[in-house]
Amino acid sequence: MATTADTFQAHTDEHHHDADHKPGFFVRWFMSTNHKDIGTLYLIFAIFAGIIGGAFSGMMRMELAEPGIQYLHTFATWFGAENPTMDQALHTWNVLITAHGLIMVFFMVMPAIIGGFGNWFVPLMIGAPDMAFPRMNNISFWLTVAGFCSLLASAFVPGGTGLGAGVGWTVYAPLSTTGSVGPAMDFAIFSLHLAGAGSILGATNFITTIFNMRAPGMTLHKMPLFVWSVLVTAFLLLLALPVLAAAITMLLTDRNFGTTFFDAAGGGDPILYQHLFWFFGHPEVYIMILPAFGIISQIISTFSRKPVFGYLGMAYAMVAIGVVGFIVWAHHMYTVGMDVNTKMYFTAATMVIAVPTGIKIFSWIATMWGGSIEFKSPMVWAIGFIFLFTVGGVTGVYLANGGIDNNVHDTYFVVAHFHYVLSLGAVTGLFAGFYYWFPKMSGKMHSEFLAHLHFWIFFVGVNLIFFPQHFLGLNGMPRRIPDYPEAFAYWNGISTLGYEITVVSVLVWFVNIAYAYTMGKKAEGNYWGEGATTLEWTLSSPPPFHQFETLPVIEDKDHH
Amino acid sequence: MAGAKNHDYHILPPDIWPLIGAISGLTFTTGMVLFMHPEWSSVGHLVLGLGIAGIIATMFGWFSKIVNEAHSGDHTPIVQLHMRYGMILFIASEVMFFVGWFWSWFDFALFPAALTYDEAAGLWTNIAGQDGEAAARIFPNAGIHVLDAFDLPLLNTLILLCSGTTVTWAHHSLIHGDRDGLKKGLWLTVALGALFTAIQAYEYGHAPFGFGGVAYSSAFYMATGFHGFHVLVGTIFLAVCLRRAYKGHFTPKQHFGFEAAAWYWHFVDVVWLFLFVVVYVWGGWGAPIH
Amino acid sequence: MKFGENALKRLHILTILAAALTFFAAPGAALAQDAESVDAVAEEVAAEVPAYEYYGPDMIKGQPVDGAINIQPQYSPIGQEGAWMHNGILMYTMFGISLLILGLLLFVMIRFNKRANPVPSKTSHNTLLEVIWTGIPIVILLVIAVPSIALISKQYASPPEDAVTIKVKGYQWYWGYEYPDHGVGEIISNMMPQDEARAAGFPAQLEVDNRLVVPVGVPIRLQIIGADVIHSFAVPSLWTKLDAVPGQINETTMQVDEPGIYYGQCSELCGARHGYMPIAVEAVPMERFEQWVAAQGGSMPGAEEAVAEEAVAEEAPVAEEAPVA
Ligand code: HEA
Ligand code: HEA
Ligand code: CUA
Ligand SMILES: [Cu+2]
Repeated sequence: MATTADTFQAHTDEHHHDADHKPGFFVRWFMSTNHKDIGTLYLIFAIFAGIIGGAFSGMMRMELAEPGIQYLHTFATWFGAENPTMDQALHTWNVLITAHGLIMVFFMVMPAIIGGFGNWFVPLMIGAPDMAFPRMNNISFWLTVAGFCSLLASAFVPGGTGLGAGVGWTVYAPLSTTGSVGPAMDFAIFSLHLAGAGSILGATNFITTIFNMRAPGMTLHKMPLFVWSVLVTAFLLLLALPVLAAAITMLLTDRNFGTTFFDAAGGGDPILYQHLFWFFGHPEVYIMILPAFGIISQIISTFSRKPVFGYLGMAYAMVAIGVVGFIVWAHHMYTVGMDVNTKMYFTAATMVIAVPTGIKIFSWIATMWGGSIEFKSPMVWAIGFIFLFTVGGVTGVYLANGGIDNNVHDTYFVVAHFHYVLSLGAVTGLFAGFYYWFPKMSGKMHSEFLAHLHFWIFFVGVNLIFFPQHFLGLNGMPRRIPDYPEAFAYWNGISTLGYEITVVSVLVWFVNIAYAYTMGKKAEGNYWGEGATTLEWTLSSPPPFHQFETLPVIEDKDHH
Repeated sequence: MAGAKNHDYHILPPDIWPLIGAISGLTFTTGMVLFMHPEWSSVGHLVLGLGIAGIIATMFGWFSKIVNEAHSGDHTPIVQLHMRYGMILFIASEVMFFVGWFWSWFDFALFPAALTYDEAAGLWTNIAGQDGEAAARIFPNAGIHVLDAFDLPLLNTLILLCSGTTVTWAHHSLIHGDRDGLKKGLWLTVALGALFTAIQAYEYGHAPFGFGGVAYSSAFYMATGFHGFHVLVGTIFLAVCLRRAYKGHFTPKQHFGFEAAAWYWHFVDVVWLFLFVVVYVWGGWGAPIH
Repeated sequence: MKFGENALKRLHILTILAAALTFFAAPGAALAQDAESVDAVAEEVAAEVPAYEYYGPDMIKGQPVDGAINIQPQYSPIGQEGAWMHNGILMYTMFGISLLILGLLLFVMIRFNKRANPVPSKTSHNTLLEVIWTGIPIVILLVIAVPSIALISKQYASPPEDAVTIKVKGYQWYWGYEYPDHGVGEIISNMMPQDEARAAGFPAQLEVDNRLVVPVGVPIRLQIIGADVIHSFAVPSLWTKLDAVPGQINETTMQVDEPGIYYGQCSELCGARHGYMPIAVEAVPMERFEQWVAAQGGSMPGAEEAVAEEAVAEEAPVAEEAPVA
């Protein structure tokens, strides 16, 4: 966005010693009210959580490499069990998948994409000096950390059959109530309360910031698409999370205070939990992907050196996805015994979402069309995203058909679907954003070579992990089993091999970060050149501790 | 020019309360877990108490800061607008929280389980799939005697409606610079809020059904209980405003703290109206009255 | 650490090229099952069953196949329908759209890269295009929706009055099958210890001690309920999957076209041994089913009734398809 930027740039550069006003270590990182520092904290936290979640998935892939139970007894001892019995070992499997799912969703993707990139770039892109509620911003972060601590604690305390909460990330009752005695489940539930409270406060903060703090002249319809994506996401968080909070509070009271919300013996309804969970859970999956959509839009436009094609359509497609996302939840429940009309409704409603999503995919391609494309690392990741997400999206439409889902529900086909949209979609979006903005945040250039290498190894690795899982699922392999009939051995072996390759790619990424901090060139204000037009590129890299002390003004002629 | 801000936003200095608040939150939840599992740990009460104390301290420290900032002029019109947005959004999320509880209520009421009640043993049995299943699908569940909606609940409805008007009285007085009216209106509102809570507590104490054990009473107590908790919070919020009114904090132009309390109070009021209609009147329809 | 060794074995070929090659390489035979798991999972069963020979491994029809990439062959009318929708519509749609997007991406990457197209255009709107790419997906979705809705409603066609009723109950971690029409009380079905299954030529972890015996060619009314937590009764080759929820009876119709053995597994996380509660359906001709019922000490429902029904069938040809004689 060409603004009064030129003069502005001069201003910030001239006064770069502003950065010297940064407070000391403890005050800066533990008491922060600065959106960029809090964003950095979120990113570091997310990377840390991603490593743990990724390690858990490694333990899972180890166990699944071959039929039979190989490692679970060992893993059980890592959590503190002595001489674990077979049942305790099997329980450890359930603990692993539960922790993996929850960590990846609540403590990796969400903190990285909303807390990290959202915090860093929403204020920068709308020309604001900070968030609307800087102090609340900080507690959002620390509540996320608190939630993570509670989740980790849960793995080491009794949870029924063994140590830890082994109920899946969906925490279905009654397995999570009468089926899991012991404090582990309660720790896990409270972990969601804490992280959820942090996210609700964060959502409030983002909505207020975006509505009230746009630079003079930046109407809603001139806002960068990343900001749009965070706005829609924040509304989803605000409206979906409290329902989850109610649901898991019912779990708590059922477990500990004698209520019978989900206990059939007392007239409760186990399926009620699933309705409440998925009323949250489906919007949740869009919470994880919409900001990635936003990031991809910025990147595609930057490296095609063209404005985004069909800007308004892009923005309102996200709004449409968000709205429709609230009325499709029961497509996760086709086999619970719903009546036929309900099933038909949810089938039809779910498929509708493919339309606005298609608009986004086609508009990205149209943005590239006629462009002058430069294959810098973020662009390569972004193009990878478009393809991988499409694959995950069409398998979603497959699952949307109630009569078809009847066959593949709770099989590895579903696992393949959601990893294509998450581990290959949202995470690819994260890495795209990372390479796009890392020099802006750190002031150091990464190695383009390593970034490309990272991409290609990752691309091969994750496809190798998850594409064969489609085959496994179609052929009937259920989810959430630590051991499988020998007939599933072949593709599981391949899948584990894919994991090993993926780990190498992540190592390349670490090397790249280390490279940037030790040998990386100093990053300029706008290191991507003329295609990068949003406001963050008018600032130095890294931006001054407090930016936009004089608000930038967006002229009428400027487009998004 | 450096460091000289040319905008009306509020750039805050670093602050320790968020960290303390989050740690207190974790202490509280950990305390709850220990408290709920006395077989596993005996220090639950202690940790729980510590957590609650920390949360209260955080609220106090944090909101005191906000009040101080208001007095030192940090709350420019745009910052006040932020707070309005913040409060509205917070209330929106609270509404969704109650959606969860109402959802459970409607689930139980519209699709009742096949429960029979053994008077002597005081036990419910689910007879799904057995004879008489259809007849047993009633709500309120078999054996439940409900509270008469048009007795104390109706009184409580009137009390809350009244308190809605008194808080508006206070607001109008404030806007017109009538401090006396402000205080009177607030005193009345707080008193009515306390009265509501007292009556609710009395009713819980004399209810013909216990806490939990069956769907009806689970949903009843949790929905009305969370409302009751919100009434308590709202009353405290208003009481703080009353104290601030005595200290002369509010001006006819700038009194967002008061407005937020009033909005919150109206929200609590509206939730009660839904509870009254859905839980007490509709939900208890046809059941024997206590 | 074993993983380390495995990893090393694989990692030394770790180049992108080698990875692509390995994709097609066979991973070798499956390793022997950990004996301990078998012990722990074996359950005592105390049903004294008179002589009835279960089918041998030669009768296995519905089971997963190593290296397979598609759905299991279908042995029920609804499964045929589902398979048609899967192979005939949805696979084409999924591959078609994915390849279309891939093709478009490759095209723009080649045609509009910096070298090929140094000066970017400024086009950012084209109403016609936008209408097209909104409209065509809608059409595709409608095309999918019609058979999809039909498939759903067929799955719900209620079984005829005289369908064979079986009550299925999910326990942690085994299944119970009851035949109220035949006076056959609950039969407990546990996973067969894996060594035993292997020795007998059955797929380990799928074989059970007591199979769910059903007659072929007639509709079977399954009434499914959970005893403790939620389980899910699933048989992929019969297109059947329905949750076993405590306090709620879920009903579905299952029909098997050919005699044979059809395997499935519990498909809802239900605790530690969720992976070890398989389902084995043995579909048999009616005579054999009667034999089985007799062996369980039960009897076929009223003979007179059957005669009466036949009389009705003669008058109304429509009823000819009424399956139970
Ligand atoms: C980022 C996360 C994410 C995203 C974006 C999606 C997107 C979609 N998901 Fe997915 N889903 C999950 C995460 C996600 N999902 C998770 C985590 C689960 C499992 C949870 C659990 O059980 O643990 C799940 C499970 C799940 C199920 C339940 C399966 C089961 O348990 O049996 C279903 C069923 O309808 C479904 C459908 C869809 C659909 C229709 C979309 C659509 O939004 C996809 C739309 C996109 C496209 C269609 C591609 C692009 C479009 C075009 C190129 C236009 C042309 C296309 C057509 C005409 C088809 N998902
Ligand atoms: C975002 C979500 C996410 C991600 C990224 C992943 C990543 C992976 N997942 Fe998982 N997975 C889930 C969400 C996710 N998963 C969920 C919700 C479930 C269901 C749980 C349940 O059943 O309850 C599940 C279940 C699941 C299963 C099925 C278990 C079962 O049903 O029994 C398996 C099995 O192979 C698996 C494997 C993997 C593997 C090998 C990866 C690998 O891709 C991991 C490799 C590592 C990375 C891709 C890097 C991670 C990121 C970072 C290090 C930080 C980056 C940060 C910045 C750039 C700021 N996952
Ligand atoms: Cu029973 Cu899973
Ligand atoms: Cu969904």
